[in-house]
Amino acid sequence: MLKTKIEKLALRSNKPSRYIGGEVGSVVKDKSKIDVRFAFCFPDTYEVGMSHLGMKILYGLKNQRENFWCERVFAPDKDFEKLMRENDIPLYALESLDPIKEFDFIGFTMQYELSYTNVLNMLDLAGLNVRASERSETDPIVVAGGPCVCNPEPLAEFFDLFILGEGEEVNLELMDLYAEMKKLGKSKSEFLAEASEIEGIYVPKFYDVAYNPDGTVKSVIPHSGAPMPIKKRIIKDFDKVYYPDSFVVPFTDIVHDRAVVEVLRGCIRGCRFCQAGYIYRPFREKSVDTIARQTKALCEQTGYEEVSLSSLSTSDHPEIEELLSKLVDYTESEKVSLSLPSLRVDNFSEEILEKINRVRKSGLTFAAEAGTQRLRDVINKNISEEEILSTCKLAFIGGYSTVKLYFMMGHPTETDEDILGIVALVRKISDLFYEINRGTKGKFLSISVSVATFVPKPFTPFEFEPQITSETVKHRHDLLTQSFKSKHIKLSYHDYRVSLLEAVLARGDRRTSEAIYKAWKKGCTFDGWTEHFNFDNWVEAFKECGLDMEFYACRKREYDEVMPWDHLDYYISKRFLISENKKAHEAITTPNCAQKCSGCGVKKECGGTYCGKGLL
Amino acid sequence: MVKDYYDIRAVFKKTGRAIYISHLDLMRVMQRTFKRAKLPVWFTKGYNPHVYLMFSLPLSLGVSSDCELMDFGVDMSAGEPDYEDIKVRLNKALPEGLEIVTLYEPKTKHTEIGACEYTLEFYGDRSADDVLSLFNSFMAQDEILIEKRCKVNMKKTVVTIDIKPDINVLESRDSDGHAYISLRLPAGIKHSLNIVSVSTAFETFCGFEFDKICINRTKILTESGDIFS
Repeated sequence: MLKTKIEKLALRSNKPSRYIGGEVGSVVKDKSKIDVRFAFCFPDTYEVGMSHLGMKILYGLKNQRENFWCERVFAPDKDFEKLMRENDIPLYALESLDPIKEFDFIGFTMQYELSYTNVLNMLDLAGLNVRASERSETDPIVVAGGPCVCNPEPLAEFFDLFILGEGEEVNLELMDLYAEMKKLGKSKSEFLAEASEIEGIYVPKFYDVAYNPDGTVKSVIPHSGAPMPIKKRIIKDFDKVYYPDSFVVPFTDIVHDRAVVEVLRGCIRGCRFCQAGYIYRPFREKSVDTIARQTKALCEQTGYEEVSLSSLSTSDHPEIEELLSKLVDYTESEKVSLSLPSLRVDNFSEEILEKINRVRKSGLTFAAEAGTQRLRDVINKNISEEEILSTCKLAFIGGYSTVKLYFMMGHPTETDEDILGIVALVRKISDLFYEINRGTKGKFLSISVSVATFVPKPFTPFEFEPQITSETVKHRHDLLTQSFKSKHIKLSYHDYRVSLLEAVLARGDRRTSEAIYKAWKKGCTFDGWTEHFNFDNWVEAFKECGLDMEFYACRKREYDEVMPWDHLDYYISKRFLISENKKAHEAITTPNCAQKCSGCGVKKECGGTYCGKGLL
Repeated sequence: MVKDYYDIRAVFKKTGRAIYISHLDLMRVMQRTFKRAKLPVWFTKGYNPHVYLMFSLPLSLGVSSDCELMDFGVDMSAGEPDYEDIKVRLNKALPEGLEIVTLYEPKTKHTEIGACEYTLEFYGDRSADDVLSLFNSFMAQDEILIEKRCKVNMKKTVVTIDIKPDINVLESRDSDGHAYISLRLPAGIKHSLNIVSVSTAFETFCGFEFDKICINRTKILTESGDIFS
């Protein structure tokens, strides 16, 4: 009956193939033979969620187990959501088309802060109370994982438990425990108590938060015997960890419609603004053979014309050149194109460039992040102007004529001079191009300069820092806009209000749950989408809760302040973060992990390639 | 350039969940299917080689079909095509709802397509007799006007056209309690009528919506009325 309703309404929506399942690679099982059903929810549209690698990994991992069935769920677009609500269609999973309210687990992956209201909306569409405390014993266990749960406090009201760190082992442990306790007829609260014993599982209701009169956190105290601190999970043998040999191949065009092979986890660089660079530590790589095998398996199963290597910085693979030769030989013979989205400037050799060229000429992108060397030293983005220019030179000689440059505005210690540094750098790149292409008529360099606002994040050396204020942002935007006149230079900014909200939610405490709830009640969903973002609703929501957005975003924290996430152990020590913060203010850089271990707190036992190197 | 591939025409069904695959997406689905099936399929020889594929007639989203057509090539270097083997391999690689029925060497050109036949089944609260008599009155009108979006001198406009002369009713009867109607409509490059325009016009005429209308394309015909092959 639900299926008939969905089929009829899907035709009235935009791109109906997103709502009906049936793709190659989707897993359909006989539900009478299943012990645990897991609804894997991505709190954004099908096109975005289906591009996410983590979901593909955990989907394959869980479905490999005969007695588990994991299905996919995405946020319906506004047009289809309206149809669903008007026709009493509850949120359903794409494989069985069954309502997710009937499932054992509802799991969300939290990839960015601006998807928080979508979680509430999806729970509501499923017919569930959004607050964990208001859901019944028979409702599904609602869980979340992903990078944002390194500070899960703003979401604490809505979830039964959080999964910290890497999911390949802990998800199965959690589901096994559940299957066992379900058989024994245990209750949800008994399950949660048991689950909190598993390393990497955080059950927020077992922790009491107290606040100081000034609004900062005073203490987080566990009760009911819950562990303290709660450690994240790390996969020690990354080369051997489960990786899917099949993907769900969508019908409709999605954001990243291609095969993806994860080559590295963690990053050696230690850029001080970058949360991923810290929370995914330690750096581990897959062997060339493993990557080649996984590439071949996925290309064969999916039939994709493109394969991409995924990592935080692909060129940091210890055997990058060997890896590329091996892969290019395969992809060329199969007429598959290879893309390498995360290449760094400094080790971008002629050989690598030539290898990419053999496959396809894509654009050249540099994340320079800051305009002057001083500021790049502050943020520990260890690339020099010479390196950027020499790479550009190689690329221009090789025929490239478009360059994308990414910058951030509002780094700690930033001045107007640093902003003018962006202008100077762009001029130098432009001059270089016209010098190389002198005499060639009609050849223009097109440069796009994208400027984001820096958002301080937990577990980075900048977690103590205030975010830049709107007045300063405005002043510096004007400064940049006035400096770029050429029609071949395209300048774009992120909306500051979006970055402000992101900053508030990233470092928020448990009290911000209420503001998220109120914002959602006022109609906020898809906050990451410009056309749906409604800042005024958010401002009102915070006001009604008696909370100040600036308190969370624009306030400097002292080193001894208790952070809302301090009871979680992501292995990065506070001592290390403080020392990095101090070095940042003195513009002193820290060598990358491959050069020298910086003693960040991640133990050698965690399997990191370079952990302990040069320390002895 | 010497032709280095054999032409193959595939007749395939598009049913079930596959009816939600748009025409544009179908192209991608088929290209990936060929890759998965590991067939020596012919690639275009341009700067950006891709699988050569051609569909004779688009099918509206939500309409199923027993007789969709797709042309492709296989490399001559791989020898004479073994139709049975290709069919088995493609069917193994295709998603649910898409199925190759038969493969052969094309005999006629796409430009010779002249008409299509469809069946429509109506589901809802109304009895089959009610629906059939409504359909008779629908067809008894002097003209059936619909608005059609088109380009006139490169400008997008909406024109009103009479589709009645183009609707050829082949059969209408009660089938297990619901109305069943079979139609022939013009198709092809010269003149065509979309079946969904007809079913939408009928719903508008009725003044209510059916729970479900199952529309199926059953035949593609040449201008002289033969099965297109």
